[in-house]
This record gives sequence, C-alpha cells and structure tokens, in this order.
Amino acid sequence: MSNSHSDWHIVTVRVPFASARHTAIAKQVIEVDRELQPHAVKRSLIVEDDILVATFTTLTVRLARLTVNAFLENVELVVRTIGQFGEDAERVPS
Amino acid sequence: MPGRLRKVSPLKKPDRAYYALGLEGSANKLGAGVIKHDADGSSVVLSNIRHTHMTPPGEGFLPRETAQHHRQWALTVIEDAVKQAGISMHDIDCICYTKGPGMGAPLVSVALVARTLSLLYDKPLVGVNHCVGHIEMGRVVTGAQNPVVLYVSGGNSQVIAYSKQRYRIFGETLDIAVGNCLDRFARVINLSNDPFPGYNIEQEAKKGKRLLPLPYTTKGMDVSLSGILTAAEAYTQDKRYRPDAQSTLDEDIITPADLCFSLQETVFAMLVEITERAMAHIGSREVLIVGGVGSNERLQQMMGIMASERGGKVFATDERFCIDNGIMIAQAGLLSFRMGLTTPISKSTCTQRFRTDEVYVAWRA
Repeated sequence: MSNSHSDWHIVTVRVPFASARHTAIAKQVIEVDRELQPHAVKRSLIVEDDILVATFTTLTVRLARLTVNAFLENVELVVRTIGQFGEDAERVPS
Repeated sequence: MPGRLRKVSPLKKPDRAYYALGLEGSANKLGAGVIKHDADGSSVVLSNIRHTHMTPPGEGFLPRETAQHHRQWALTVIEDAVKQAGISMHDIDCICYTKGPGMGAPLVSVALVARTLSLLYDKPLVGVNHCVGHIEMGRVVTGAQNPVVLYVSGGNSQVIAYSKQRYRIFGETLDIAVGNCLDRFARVINLSNDPFPGYNIEQEAKKGKRLLPLPYTTKGMDVSLSGILTAAEAYTQDKRYRPDAQSTLDEDIITPADLCFSLQETVFAMLVEITERAMAHIGSREVLIVGGVGSNERLQQMMGIMASERGGKVFATDERFCIDNGIMIAQAGLLSFRMGLTTPISKSTCTQRFRTDEVYVAWRA
C-alpha cells in the first residue's frame, strides 16, 4: 500500500473574504475540528492575505466529495455568521 | 461536640451584572438564550428562543438534516435572542455552547457559530455539558436545594445526585433513553411529531383503558428499555391489535391508546423505582425532574405519589426549560465563567459522549 499520497486525490478551494482579519477568523474557527478519517483525509488551511486556501488530499474520490462538501457547508455558515454580525462587531460599544 | 459546619458556596456574589449567551443544538432543537446574573446573585432569563427540526409522522430525525436545520436557523434564533434580551452582543460576558453529549454534526454546526461570534466580538467561549445545563436550569428555576435529579430525555436517562464538586450518576439506562423508547414507539403507531412525539403519546395514553403486560426491567440502580420497546412493538403485530379502534374493555382488542398507556405506566414506574432507590441511598427528600420527558404530567404525578409517601416533594419545570433550550447552556456556562473556567478556542471541540460526572462543578460547595 503506497504511503506517498502520489496516487491520492487533491482538491483546492480558495475562499475570498472581506478582510485579512475575517480570513484569519474563518481559519481559526474551522481548523478546530479534526477530520473524521485522518488516515484517509489530509487537510491544510492557509491564509493568503484575505483568501482562505483549503487543500484536501484524500484516498478516494468519494472521500474528496464528502470532505469538500462538508467544508463548503461549514465555510458557508461561517461566512453567513460574519456577514450577519461582522458589522455590529466592529461597531465600538457606547 | 463541634457544631455542624455550614458549607460556604465558593461562588461569590457578583460585583456587577453578568450576561451570557447560550447556544444549544445537540438534538433536533436549536436554542439560543440570554441570562443575566444580577448583582444580588439572582438569575434572570432575558430571552429564550428555540426552533425545532420537525419530521413527518413515522420518521425520526437524522444527523445530516438536523445539522442542516441548525445551520439554516442558528443566526435568526441568535439575533432574536439578543434583540429580545434588549442588550447588545457587546454587553455579553461569555458565549456558551453545548460541547456534548449529543449528535456530532448538529453539535459542530452550533460550535462553528459560537467560535465565530467569540472571535468577532472578542468574547471568551465556555463549553457546557448538556446534562449539567439541564440540572443547573432546574435548580435555579425551582429553587430545589439538594435534590435527587431524574434527567430523562430523548438522548439521556440518568439518576443523578450531587456530591463533592461532581454530579454523580447513581443509575441510568443500560441501553436506550426513555424519550428514545417513547419516540420510536410513536413512529411505529404513526403519531405526529408536533410538538414532540412524547406529548402525543401522553395524550393518546389518556384514552387507553387496558394495561397490557410489558417486561418490567429495572436492574438494581439501572433500567433497560430496549426490551420493552420490542415488546410494545410486537403487540402491534398481535391479532387483537386494531390501529383505528377506540379503547374498550368490552371487546378483547388492543388499541394504540392502550399501548401508549401500558408503555407509559410501565416505563414511568421503573423510573420512579430507581429514583426512590437513590433517594433512600442518600437520604434525600427532594426529586428534581429535568429533560424533555420531564414535561410529562403522568410521570410527575407518579413521582409525586412516591415522594409524598417518603415525606418529600417533586420539582419540575415547564416546557420552556425542560425541553432542550439555549438558556440552560447560558446558565451553566455563566456559573463556570464566574468560577474562572473558560474554553480556549483550540479546545472548543464537540464530543458525542460526555459523562455528567466528568464536569468539575466548581460553583457548588
């Protein structure tokens, strides 16, 4: 069984945010939960200015679909949360 | 002979008012609530909003759709909770969320929102044990001093008593929870899940006239429920079973109402027995019933009969607090926070299994 991931599947998703701060928040929020199958799914989350770059290396195509799908569902929730509360959060309390 | 030392509560009176936002989503209820601990030490519920993921009759809720429901409703419910509390998120001292136990994907959906809010507003996070949330809300709403707690819901069935900074589990289900047993039976007889299946079983049971024999399975301090569920389901295959008939003792028939009645009577009697055993063990006179099944009035009545025979009383809360909600998470979370316990974001995971006695109850003597 090859250990080098050369025959694994790689999917990269780039998610832009309004600011570098928001991107850093999204990374910090999403990286907390471990992948459910760490032996078959490798994840990397990198902040490039205001873009969150997520790279998934998976053993099977099926795992690639499930992992990217779950990631997108979670990122979408974080984006919506920042969208709804971000402006109010930046407001200085009186 | 030295005088009996009165234990001083380690929780000091707050120097000012404290506010906490609580977020709950371990099962199919998505709840958010804001609680205030006043400077005089009292707890005030400022808001308690909940939205339930309802499935059609005959179907239970599954993790994927439940998580989807929570993702869809979380922001609305939280926004409403903060608005109804009449404060701003900036006034909140800590953001409390359910760490576990419960269903994985739904728990994580809520945790993601909690973490995001924590980072946006720079507020500390507090991970809360769902069971401890129920207990703390029950204590503060009813004022029960040191009761034996019967925690019964769709996901958990435990008999708990407090001792030395832990909520100790005296007895519990060996397999499925009481609420799970009732919910799954409701599916077999196609009862509506609105507002929740247990409520419809309770109403149906009132029309039952026949007490059918079902296996009564207490095992010492514990109970086992999967056998009773199988036996109840087996009656629906009995040749006497009439799914649409009215209950009557004139004909030898079995109706859904009879089965609901028999199931409730048997299961609740078992719960009363193990609760009584715990009360006898620690010499307590108070019973606090928490969890969704606690809203069942027949269970409260049966427990009340047992308690008064022992010279005690039963405490119970109404549906706002015994069914999963966000305010109980806020209450337990704020108590932790006031004792200096918070959850760093890198540790703000969720876990499907989280024993009630794993929590260090720092806020009690």
